[in-house]
Amino acid sequence: MSFATPFALAWAALTVPIVVFYILKIRLRQAPVSTTIFWQQIFDEKPPRSLWQQLRHWLSLLVQLLWCILLVLALAEPYFNWEILQARRLILVIDNSASMNATDVSPTRLDAAKKAARRLVTSLRFRDEVAVITAGTQPQVVCGLTGHERTLLTAISSVTKSDGPTLVPDAIELAKRLLGEAKHGQVVVYSDGGFAGSERLAEDKLVQLEAIGTTAPNVGITNFQVRRSLLDPVGYEILVEIVNASAEATPCRLDLDLNGNPVDVFPLNLKPGEVWSQTLEKTSVEGGHLTAHLTPDDALAADNKAAAILPKRTTQKVQLFSPGNLFLQKALEANSLVELKAAKELPKQFTAGSIHVFHRHVPKQLPAGQVLVIDPIESCDYWQVAGPLENPIVTKQDIDSPLMRHVRLDNIILPQARKLTPQAGSHTLVSAVEGEPLYFSFEEPGRKVLVLTVNLDEGDLTFRTAFPIMVTNALGWFASQSGELRESLVAGAISEIELPSREKSAPPLSLRSPGGKERPLPRINSKVSVGPLDEVGIWTIAEHPRDAAAKDQPKEPILELACNLATKAESNLNVPESWQTTSVVPVAAASWFVRPIWFYLAACAWLVAIGEWFLYQRRWIS
Amino acid sequence: MPLFDSNFLKQLEYLSLVSRRVFRGSLLAQRRTMQFGSGIEFAEYREYSAGDDLRYLDWNIYARHGELLLKRFQEEEDLHVYFLLDCSRSMGFAGGKKFDLARQLTAALAYIALADLDRISVIAFGDRIVDSFPLTRGKARILPLLDFLENLEPQGSDTDLAQSVGEFVRRKQRMGLAVVVSDLFAPRGYQPGIDLLRHRRYEPHLIQLHDPSEAEPDFLGDIELYDVENNSSRKVTVTENNLRMYRRLFAEHQHGVSRYCRDYGLGCTQASTKIGFEDLVLRMMRVAGALT
Repeated sequence: MSFATPFALAWAALTVPIVVFYILKIRLRQAPVSTTIFWQQIFDEKPPRSLWQQLRHWLSLLVQLLWCILLVLALAEPYFNWEILQARRLILVIDNSASMNATDVSPTRLDAAKKAARRLVTSLRFRDEVAVITAGTQPQVVCGLTGHERTLLTAISSVTKSDGPTLVPDAIELAKRLLGEAKHGQVVVYSDGGFAGSERLAEDKLVQLEAIGTTAPNVGITNFQVRRSLLDPVGYEILVEIVNASAEATPCRLDLDLNGNPVDVFPLNLKPGEVWSQTLEKTSVEGGHLTAHLTPDDALAADNKAAAILPKRTTQKVQLFSPGNLFLQKALEANSLVELKAAKELPKQFTAGSIHVFHRHVPKQLPAGQVLVIDPIESCDYWQVAGPLENPIVTKQDIDSPLMRHVRLDNIILPQARKLTPQAGSHTLVSAVEGEPLYFSFEEPGRKVLVLTVNLDEGDLTFRTAFPIMVTNALGWFASQSGELRESLVAGAISEIELPSREKSAPPLSLRSPGGKERPLPRINSKVSVGPLDEVGIWTIAEHPRDAAAKDQPKEPILELACNLATKAESNLNVPESWQTTSVVPVAAASWFVRPIWFYLAACAWLVAIGEWFLYQRRWIS
Repeated sequence: MPLFDSNFLKQLEYLSLVSRRVFRGSLLAQRRTMQFGSGIEFAEYREYSAGDDLRYLDWNIYARHGELLLKRFQEEEDLHVYFLLDCSRSMGFAGGKKFDLARQLTAALAYIALADLDRISVIAFGDRIVDSFPLTRGKARILPLLDFLENLEPQGSDTDLAQSVGEFVRRKQRMGLAVVVSDLFAPRGYQPGIDLLRHRRYEPHLIQLHDPSEAEPDFLGDIELYDVENNSSRKVTVTENNLRMYRRLFAEHQHGVSRYCRDYGLGCTQASTKIGFEDLVLRMMRVAGALT
């Protein structure tokens, strides 16, 4: 046996005064009596100093010494070496993914998992150490290895639900790294098994499984996207997918709303395991929040709702200055969002707030704002015009640019295309054989310029669908729209988001969750990585308020992101059969010695004190 | 507060009346017929007691009323009552309540005897006779008697009844009734002294008094017993068992006194200080009235 605090053994010196006080005669209380004739009979009848008489006082001394020694040993905190050698290390992996929010186990599966974890923590032995890791959305160590029960219980209580996917295998890997080379290590997993590879986990000897949940039926939305139509500026397409992860046919209803206004309703009767997928075409100038809602509610509510951001369409004023080209004019007029005014001559002053389209003739200095130039014949402050290109064949194009979305000009000949030399700062979108820019752009704060050097009257570009798409893309680019698709994000995913350009002096941005939590974003003006998103709903990117007063006046968000569960594995609430048969977590408390040895010593001292008090009260000892 | 105040005197008078009217003077059941008187002057009648001389029986009354009455002559009334009052320190235990009761009781009985034209004497003793009130007669002597009693104090060492009685019986005096008022806590026992009285033809009547704390001590644990009579002390550990044994021994002592008196036909009165002297005297009268 060893002692954690051996210097506490010095308290054994207290036995000396105990013996001293025992030996010293204590002044007794005097009791006057009228006669001792009876007392003499009582005390003289007994044989002088029988063995019990001689011993009973020594017994009291020994009891007191024993009490003192027990307390001194308790203070010294003794322990056995086998306690340290056989101390266990347990890593509790608590799955707080979306499926653990199912209510088939009251109140939720996650609460049941936390309750089971608490039960294990309260039954630990002294010197056992436990860590807590969450396995939803992103594996995270909630509490490092410790034996402090209250800390562990607080950590378990702090585990919050998330709408992210299950990442139990990653969490188990993290747990194994925490265990290291510990001899008596174990990973205890509290999950419903809703992840790939859950069947194999039952064979891992290091891992003990605690299956949470039952075989619960569930119907969920596993995909929901919306995009603007390529052709119809006010049209949009909806993609929705629903899965019936139940063993029985389930009737339900799908409601589609745009900004709270009904768009469509679908009564469904899904067969067991059926995947229902539909693409819908609708029209709306308005943008906003498109939501899908399943009724009735079932065990998992997170997948009964889905959202998507429909880009708004705004009317654009376009002024066309062209000697006359029907294709160009029609391409502009075909966009129902465009208010077109055509003129043949260049005005002396240009109207602010409009998109200026120059065909052939351009002013020496381009007006401020958005400008589209097609087939310029004159130089200006942004380029110099040279002669016609020798090989005006499109050989290279920037397919990643939103201006070139759904446009393929490979090997298209653009006859009589002039050679333009753009000023510095241009971005080539389409180039010819020798790299001469055929289609390029300028982007500056407050100004966007697009230049297409193509003779519309020659060639067949105007006959191709690419031309109106290019015009539509150009108009969309002028309107700062990132494209007709604002993709809904999957919970738990990390996405790169393109931010609109802002001034360098603009306040920083923050990402706000549907629940109101804010995360600051780095000061990068172009793209930013967001995620993993752990909550379904509409996330917003807005300027971070500088002070408390600004917090009370929330500004319009710069960007909105829709986040949906959209995971078939999470919508399937069935617990794997292999988990149900093997999920027996033995009770952690293995023996009597759950508490440290000093606790039992103190308890024995307490019992000895009670015994001494009882014997004293009964006058069995003095 | 004086031991014998005006209220006490009123109580004495009351007791005296009760004694004469109700119990016809037979408070202590003394055998008066043992006193052969030669007086010729008729004094009064008294009831016949077994052993009385039949020559003095009034046959006329018997013939007329059927009552056995004895003629008393002047000399026959003069009964001597001796009060042996224990003045040892044990009587002063527990605040002296026992001693006060003993003195009050002695005064009450003495007054009754004086009112009954008997002669009384009070002998105070401890380990020996420490003081005495000479034989006297007449109710007027009650005040000096009360003074005498009030000035007595517990004194001496261990109670020695035999020694004290030995001194008493060696006095030249007529036999009579010997009322021993004591707690009878004598280390050498009380029987030798009482036996001596009996042998010397006195009529002993024991009045044993005790304090409730003597019958039921309440101390426990490690204590030092201090004997108030001989100033000795002893360190003991008193347990519950010891207390039970003490109570048993005390009760046995009490029963022993009662049995001794019964065996020898002696009058016996046992009481604790919880009872006032007046109630004790009345009780004695009732007992005496029931026996005669």
